[in-house]
Amino acid sequence: MRGLPTVLITVSPEASAQMGPPRAIYPVGFQIGHVLGGPGQADLQRQVLRDALERLITPGEPGTIEERVYPQYVPPPPAPS
Amino acid sequence: MSTMSRRCIPYTPNRRPLAETTIALVTTAGVHARNQPAFNPEGEKEFRIIPNDVPTAELTISHPYYDHTDADRDINCVFPVDRLRELAAEGLIGGVNDFHIGFMGTSPRLREVYEETAPAIADRVERSKTDAVVLTAG
Repeated sequence: MRGLPTVLITVSPEASAQMGPPRAIYPVGFQIGHVLGGPGQADLQRQVLRDALERLITPGEPGTIEERVYPQYVPPPPAPS
Repeated sequence: MSTMSRRCIPYTPNRRPLAETTIALVTTAGVHARNQPAFNPEGEKEFRIIPNDVPTAELTISHPYYDHTDADRDINCVFPVDRLRELAAEGLIGGVNDFHIGFMGTSPRLREVYEETAPAIADRVERSKTDAVVLTAG
């Protein structure tokens, strides 16, 4: 096995950290099911993906989950009680 | 079977510019093509090979353990295949692999996932033209 460079986009950084991902970004505040943003937020999704791809070519400590902030993220409304 | 400590970080260096890199997506968010079997909600070790030429309208999610209502409307929320194709078209990346991998990441048999499924996925992707992988969960 020769190995492949990987980058993880996670919205569960605590759980992901336990597995020691070699490269990872965490879009802060993104909900599960919205890994790259909400539905129809194509520009945001593209930006998150760009940032993940950028991490592939940026030197950094393996195993570090790097936070990214996207003010344009629209979280889903809370479920009705 | 690998005897690597679980504290080791499986890091492969990357020295290839993005514009010369072919990317594959690997997701545990339960994504698959509509004409492929749904994932067993009890967990299974099989993954789905999703051809890159499958339109996103023909992709679906079978994963009972997270709310994918929005991802059902826009698969790119968890599986950014349209976004990846767009970035390839604009030249940011060298290309998109001929296929991607979908898996349902919740299983009571984690040892099976760790020792069988994950290595099988890695082997399948390594034997393709993929240079690097973007991973997502749900």
